[in-house]
Amino acid sequence: MSNILRLSLPFTVWIIGFCAVYALQGIACSRHWPPGLDPRTALIAAAALFTAIQGLVLWRIIAAPSRTSFVQATATILGAAALGAALWTSLPVLSLTVCS
Amino acid sequence: MNQTGLHGTALRLHKTLARIWAPDPGWRGWLTTSNNNDIGRLFLCVATAFFVIGGLLAMLIRAQLATPGSAFMGPEAYNQVFTMHGTVMMFLFAIPFFEAMSMLLLPGMLGTRDLAFPRLGAYGLWVYIFGGTAVIIAMLMGLAPDGGWFMYPPLTSAAFSPGLGADVWLLGITSIEVSAIATAVEVVVTVLRYRAAGMSLSRMPIFAWYILVVSVMILTAFPPMILGSLLLEVERALDWPFFQVENGGDPLLWQHLFWLFGHPEVYIIFLPAAGMIATILPVMARTTLLGYGWVVAAAISLAVLSFGLWVHHMFTTGIPHLGLAFFSAASTLVAVPTSVMIFSWIGTLWKGRVRMELPMLWLIGFFATFVIGGLTGVMLAIVPFNWQVHDTHFVVAHLHYVLIGGYVFPMIAAVYFFQPLLTGRSSFFRLGGVAFWLVVPAFHVTFLAVHVAGLLGQRRRTWTYNEGQGWEVLNLVASVASFVMAIGFALVILDIAINTFAGLRGRRNQWNATTLEWAAANPSPNYGFASIPVVRGRYPLLKDPDLALRIAKGEGYLADTSRNRRETLIVATTTGEPSQVVVLPGNSILPFLLAVVTSTSFLAPLFKAYWLSGLALVGVIILALIWVWRLAPARTEGLVDAGHGSQLPIASETADPPGWWGSLFLLLADGVHFGSLLFGYAFLWTVAPNWPPPTYLSPELWPVVLAVGGAVALALAPRLMLRGIERGRVWPMLLMGAIGTLALGAAAASVMLARPDPASHAFDATLWLLAGHVAFHAALTLIMLGYLGLRRIAGHSLRVGEARIVGLWADFTAATSLLALGAAWLPGAFG
Amino acid sequence: MLAGGVAIFAFVLGLLTAALVRRPAREGDPATGIWLWTLGLGLPLATLAALTVYGLVMGERLLPRETPDLVTVEAEARQWAWSFAYSDAPGLVTVDVLHIPAGLPVDVRITSVDVVHSFWVPRLAGKLDAIPGHVNVLRIEAQAPGTYAGQSAEFSGTGYREHTFTVEAHGPAAWNAFLQGAP
Repeated sequence: MSNILRLSLPFTVWIIGFCAVYALQGIACSRHWPPGLDPRTALIAAAALFTAIQGLVLWRIIAAPSRTSFVQATATILGAAALGAALWTSLPVLSLTVCS
Repeated sequence: MNQTGLHGTALRLHKTLARIWAPDPGWRGWLTTSNNNDIGRLFLCVATAFFVIGGLLAMLIRAQLATPGSAFMGPEAYNQVFTMHGTVMMFLFAIPFFEAMSMLLLPGMLGTRDLAFPRLGAYGLWVYIFGGTAVIIAMLMGLAPDGGWFMYPPLTSAAFSPGLGADVWLLGITSIEVSAIATAVEVVVTVLRYRAAGMSLSRMPIFAWYILVVSVMILTAFPPMILGSLLLEVERALDWPFFQVENGGDPLLWQHLFWLFGHPEVYIIFLPAAGMIATILPVMARTTLLGYGWVVAAAISLAVLSFGLWVHHMFTTGIPHLGLAFFSAASTLVAVPTSVMIFSWIGTLWKGRVRMELPMLWLIGFFATFVIGGLTGVMLAIVPFNWQVHDTHFVVAHLHYVLIGGYVFPMIAAVYFFQPLLTGRSSFFRLGGVAFWLVVPAFHVTFLAVHVAGLLGQRRRTWTYNEGQGWEVLNLVASVASFVMAIGFALVILDIAINTFAGLRGRRNQWNATTLEWAAANPSPNYGFASIPVVRGRYPLLKDPDLALRIAKGEGYLADTSRNRRETLIVATTTGEPSQVVVLPGNSILPFLLAVVTSTSFLAPLFKAYWLSGLALVGVIILALIWVWRLAPARTEGLVDAGHGSQLPIASETADPPGWWGSLFLLLADGVHFGSLLFGYAFLWTVAPNWPPPTYLSPELWPVVLAVGGAVALALAPRLMLRGIERGRVWPMLLMGAIGTLALGAAAASVMLARPDPASHAFDATLWLLAGHVAFHAALTLIMLGYLGLRRIAGHSLRVGEARIVGLWADFTAATSLLALGAAWLPGAFG
Repeated sequence: MLAGGVAIFAFVLGLLTAALVRRPAREGDPATGIWLWTLGLGLPLATLAALTVYGLVMGERLLPRETPDLVTVEAEARQWAWSFAYSDAPGLVTVDVLHIPAGLPVDVRITSVDVVHSFWVPRLAGKLDAIPGHVNVLRIEAQAPGTYAGQSAEFSGTGYREHTFTVEAHGPAAWNAFLQGAP
């Protein structure tokens, strides 16, 4: 991983996941949603998937460290922070009603 | 060498460099200069002028609201005034002002001689001046927009705002956003590539990190707004129904696009100020910043988190509670990195010994104000509370705490702090202290009163109010205090003006700061550094006070002036290892001319002069080609002596010249713009009431074949060309690329021909925009290929760097064309 | 919430003041752990977790629930008037006055025919936008009979300030009389 990518990837993944889950929620409550599918299950699956990817990013950062110690330290903080953010913004999916 | 000889060397070097970097003599110099010092100063003065205009508008608002039932303004005038106050302060003051500061300071901080694309900076300045002036002139003619700075349709659609006001906003502000994007590209490439030798990422001054983050944010946040403005303008001008419900549009689409821009915008404004604080505060405390890496991480995470907040401006639009909950969670999250920054700064003060100079005083004003603004912000992020105070004066007070406390106060601190560097003079009178004690207390009185009025239910954007609602005293107090505050701001401007012309000559580095900009002469000359410094730590002046002298004597890189041109160093992004020598362009009238034709093409539609707009667009293309042609060097130099015994290639002869990096980041903005268009399409398809359209577009075979074939040809051609350049055979590849662009153009045309009436439904209008995106980029790539062909005909051998730049654009065109056409055909393909 | 806000503000400014007047003899100990881990990260995380959970629970409680005795009214905004229709009395339309029964949950179905407006009765509920082409449902309930002031809360042009209405909450008898057409 290049150094700039290492610094920018964790939160880039977070914002993509965040927007994707929100978009899925929008579609789940719209006319295009197949009636047989439970929106909450789909949302939880999506949120779990993105949280897992977030964890993977952090793992890659730690497992294959950069040669620049400053980049490595900062990237680790960012990776952990983004994972925390992903968990935090996934909480509403677990606890709230979906389309009202 | 004795002392005289030493100064002799420095003086000779200074004289030669000053000649090489001098602007043209006389008034013409202002039009042709592209030096960051000149452009930055002009930028700063113009932005300050707009601040004064915006401030006068604020005074009109407070005069109107001072008493109930005021007859000073009617609702028509009041609506124009508050719309313009917000617009001027956000677009014409806040963003240009920090851009100006970073243009002035960034090269010094990074240890380079100028920004990456000096002429692009000059172009951005002139577009900004023309666009801003047009908006102000329109206001003076009574044609100002009056739909609020957020411009919600349908209120701003042709049916409810038939006048020119909304068009002035959409076209004028978009041209200013184009200028901001130009500056952002310039800043990103400068920070990543143009630095002192040995300045690795971890040794960059903290402001460089902040401004890098902010510039990337500009590149990703402005495109949705530009798209929104484009959609609304074509709806107003051509009746393409993007926001009209009857024909498949949806007014909520605007709100999404606007706030996708609007929320990051708040952080785009705050982060440069935070960068200034992190720069000034340690110097004022005679120490270094606590937790540099933490602050960098906080800036990066805050930047991205701010993109996950846009819906919190739409909490009352009826979005399901779960949707709101996501944004509520993300909104509270931004307080975490902000808190990391705040405590890093307080910790810095804790470990140092603070001196109470004027910049420090303004920073204390910042703390006292911004913390309150942040706390009311957290309250607003809580959904039930938001439902009660949304659109009241509570929100007005909150945003002024954040913006004035978090932006204006630190920027005033920065102006006072860097004054010796910018003007060569330090403070003269005690006026600055008086101004501070007028502004900050008066600010708090004003906006605490406004907070309370909001909690008592006073609505924003109402031109007056009745007696007996308990708001009279609060409003009168707010108005009187706001006038005191205005006098204070006037004194600040007066103080700085007096200092500029009559202040004392300061000694070099009067604050004992530790970063490179203070190693330059006082004020900083146009060439910046007599030689490019070599740095070995994050705070080069901390343990090496003689560095300035050694730089002046030419002991850094590129001290050899025998090539008689403007040169500076390009380094490896991570390590700061010197890697290229770049030749910067000289004075030229081209940026000014290009800005004139660009602004013409933007502003001509105001008068329905579409032919003029089209003509100006042709002018833009021709001037841009001349610009690029003249910049391309005629001969190949190979490696040149860069000093310190190193032989480095000239940037234009490398595989990744600055133009490649610039294109990469410009394409990032372009990609976000395209992504926003896809988002808008998906949004309408999902939630717009009058969907599906009567019919979808069913793809035929031949356009699909053309699209796929064209995209493949276009993606392959530049890759083959890279090999062809070695063998001197490029014509077949140029031809192949050209055919690819034509095929894509034909596929796009087939979409438009199949649905000839874009005004009939939002789906048709969207198809035209998708096809338009393809056609525009195919044409752009074709022009670039044509340019390479012309160079070849003129007898130049093509360079790898050039081919790779065109390759980037070709790849982008091929990929987004396939996506655009696929999106256009997809609903029809599945019935 | 205000008390908590004031407490945090006082704490931060107290630290700031202490940092300003402190004069360490030598360059002080950075103590990154305390400043950044505890104060920078810990403090906001604890506060925000509490606040957000509170907000979500409250917001969830405010959501409309199924109830048998639900009354439904239609609110239609235009520049610059509100007209109200009643599902229990088809054909009955009132302008700028919304009649509801006191003590019963009422669903207001809000929409607009021209630009974006917002329905807001501060004493009954938070605001909800009236958007052309969309119907937003707001649950309100007046505890006692009486008159409640309401207003539009989204800027809508020159008549925005005067774009107000009132809500009349009736007791059971008066409500029935209203539905029968008696004013």
